[in-house]
Amino acid sequence: MRSQAAALPRRGMAKSDFRPGIGKYRGMKARILVVDDDEALAEMIGIVLRNDGFEAVYCADGAKALETFRTNKPDLVLLDLMLPGIDGIEICRLIRAESDVPIVMLTAKSDTSDVVRGLESGADDYVAKPFKPAELVARVRARLRPGDVKAPETLVIGEITIDVAGHAVRRAGERVLLTPLEFDLLVALARKPWQVFTRELLLEQVWGYRHAADTRLVNVHVQRLRSKIERDPEAPEVVLTVRGVGYKAGQ
Amino acid sequence: METSGRTAVNRNSGPSGQAGAPAPQATDDDGPAVSAVAGALEGAGSPDGRVVASPGAQILHVLTVAGKALWRAARKVGRTLARRWRTSLQFRTVFTTLVIASVAVVGVGGYLAGQISSGLFKERLAQAQQDSARGATQVQDNFSNASVSDQPRVSSYVKDTLGLLAVGAADDNRKYLLVKIPGQTSKLAVISSDSGGVTSAIIPDTLRAAVQANDTGQFWQSISLPVGSSGSHPAVVVGNQVELLQTKYELYMIYDLNSAQLTLNYIQSVLWLAGAILLLLIGAIAWYVTRTVVKPVSQAAAVSEKLAAGELEERMQVVGEDEMARLATSFNKMATSLQDQINALATLSEMQQRFVSDVSHELRTPLTTVRMAAEVLFDARDGFDPVNKRSSELLFHQVERFELLLADLLEISRFDAGVADLDVESLDIFSVIHSVIDVAAPVADANHSELSVVTRLRSHKCVVEMDARRIDRILRNLVLNAVEHSEGKPVKIFVSADEHAVAVAVRDYGVGMSPDALGHVFDRFWRADPARARTTGGSGLGLSIATEDARLHGGWLEAWGVPGKGSCFRLTLPRTRGGVLTHSPVPLPPDSGAGAASLNLNTGPILTNTGAMGVVGALGGISPALHGEPPAAGTAARTELP
Repeated sequence: MRSQAAALPRRGMAKSDFRPGIGKYRGMKARILVVDDDEALAEMIGIVLRNDGFEAVYCADGAKALETFRTNKPDLVLLDLMLPGIDGIEICRLIRAESDVPIVMLTAKSDTSDVVRGLESGADDYVAKPFKPAELVARVRARLRPGDVKAPETLVIGEITIDVAGHAVRRAGERVLLTPLEFDLLVALARKPWQVFTRELLLEQVWGYRHAADTRLVNVHVQRLRSKIERDPEAPEVVLTVRGVGYKAGQ
Repeated sequence: METSGRTAVNRNSGPSGQAGAPAPQATDDDGPAVSAVAGALEGAGSPDGRVVASPGAQILHVLTVAGKALWRAARKVGRTLARRWRTSLQFRTVFTTLVIASVAVVGVGGYLAGQISSGLFKERLAQAQQDSARGATQVQDNFSNASVSDQPRVSSYVKDTLGLLAVGAADDNRKYLLVKIPGQTSKLAVISSDSGGVTSAIIPDTLRAAVQANDTGQFWQSISLPVGSSGSHPAVVVGNQVELLQTKYELYMIYDLNSAQLTLNYIQSVLWLAGAILLLLIGAIAWYVTRTVVKPVSQAAAVSEKLAAGELEERMQVVGEDEMARLATSFNKMATSLQDQINALATLSEMQQRFVSDVSHELRTPLTTVRMAAEVLFDARDGFDPVNKRSSELLFHQVERFELLLADLLEISRFDAGVADLDVESLDIFSVIHSVIDVAAPVADANHSELSVVTRLRSHKCVVEMDARRIDRILRNLVLNAVEHSEGKPVKIFVSADEHAVAVAVRDYGVGMSPDALGHVFDRFWRADPARARTTGGSGLGLSIATEDARLHGGWLEAWGVPGKGSCFRLTLPRTRGGVLTHSPVPLPPDSGAGAASLNLNTGPILTNTGAMGVVGALGGISPALHGEPPAAGTAARTELP
């Protein structure tokens, strides 16, 4: 798992320093692992990504995906759901087990079950084939986006304490491990406990979508967040559902 | 055998003194039986007011009482019985059998009772007439030989002579009465004499008149003979004239028929009892027989209900080799063939589903590559020579179009395969409308159309259980279509809701639609104006998909249009999942088909301005009374949504 210290410089970076694709480690190109069995598509994605200043690494075989991931230590994974050898969802679960690197699924199916299964296994976002190059790049950038400048700040919801600058969440003093996306989601809710967030608003603030997209992203991630921070995910106290509207932070 | 009500006087044709059995003949052809019925019809009632009835009257009485009781009982349990009647073949058969059997038993019983009654009466009457003739002859013989000359002796002579009647009677119940015919002046005469217990009052006047008028005939009539203080017996009185010392007397002999009545009563009660037992037996037999037939039928019904409910493994039991067994066998064969067909279809559907899924994946991956490549080329087109530049532009746009077409085709085949399912959540429909407006606003601007929302929902909030992705797709399709055909005129989105339903009607005031176009507007690949549609794009599947999306929600998608006056598409959805629509809260069209200029909306100030274009006003023109009414003008097409 990537250490918290490694994440810190990224989080602490000033927004003005950020230029798409090249600003990640002060000039180093962000490395993106493309796991797709279709070599033409992988190559095309590589062309587009390189065009936008990213570095692309390929893996066409699902069975070798985890090994490639370990050797290359990418900053983001683009993962096809349907792979020969090993299921994309399984790879997603394996990667998530050892890293909280952003994972964006490439899916040819917009069927509910596959997307939800992918998101539940740990993917942060998904892009449905066929996608536009700009859409893909936007999704990648959104996930590589460094957070806003975070002043030392501590937020409290119930027994949950959030150290925003330290990217740490504690429940009753006990450390809870969240992915960056789950952390951003929790912080967005916790900063304005009086506000009810619609799914669309959360998509915009946390995922960086400018237009309404699939609100299932929000539903699945809220469930994942709840399973980590709630005492009883069936009766949530931290992230509350406001029926017909969206979500809000508990008191 | 009550015949007290009879008025007819029966006269024997033969002379009273005729040797042997006089042939008594009633004046009416059918004799006592018919007389009895006539009496009953005239209202049987004995002089003392006791209600009595002849056999026929008794039958009628029993029938009316039984009918009334049956009617009351039927009304009491009317609803239950009516339901049983409707739902149970066995009940219906047994009931019908019983009703028919009752009518038969009552008819046969009534006929038998009547015949027995009439036979008994005839026999007794003949006996009485014979006996009476003999008695009268005896008395007349004695009277003729009388040689008395003073009043007391006349009296005692009469008494003695009549006393012979009491003694020589064949029937102990014979009583006699001797009355002097009034109007005779004779010194040696008695006024009357009787055997006790009878007076001339019980002799009907008509009979007396007949006896007085004829000195040889024998006359009879049925009467009611008072017994004790309140009772009475049926009786027959036979009258003759006798002469004593030049004085004429009426001699009546009264025969009590009570024993015959008792016999008749007994026979009747046995008859009715036998009838009742017969009815019970018939009912039981009918019940048993129908049960034997109906049981397999109801078993078949139960099995076919289970089959219909999807339990395809269900089969009927085959017992024996009779018709029921044949039914069961062929039923089972049918079920098996049905199961095979359904399984084959299910397999087919599954195959199609997998095929669609595979095609989806296999096509999309290369398409993604092509599309990205086209876009890269398109972005770099400024550096190309004109031919390559135009080619890259064409490639880019057509790949985009191909992609849209493919997406729509896949969506349609997903519907056809029956694998589309709803991802329902409770959402405010206005949030969907606003996002649709955000998307459509640039297109509306380019068409110089004004896009606005008109609603009378004050809170501008209406939570509906829906699949937001599908509703967004429907509304986006409708709004973009409207804008495209608006010819620069406004496009209004009417929203209204009530407890059960919410409706969104998208109205434009542009080219409109002909009735012919309305009939095809939801057809796949149908285009109102082929030349026009080719340039503006669109797969021709948009409204078909919208229809399917609405159907998935249990909603309606309807169209209205008049050429030159614009068109309107109305989406109506139940507010809760599984709700059944009966009406739409927005009339079609929402503004009675009036043009944009004449549309005088009672709109208040613009209340909210959401997103780029969301203008929300208050609509005063929609009256709740208009709900669900057919459009006033033009024609509407409703897609068949089961």
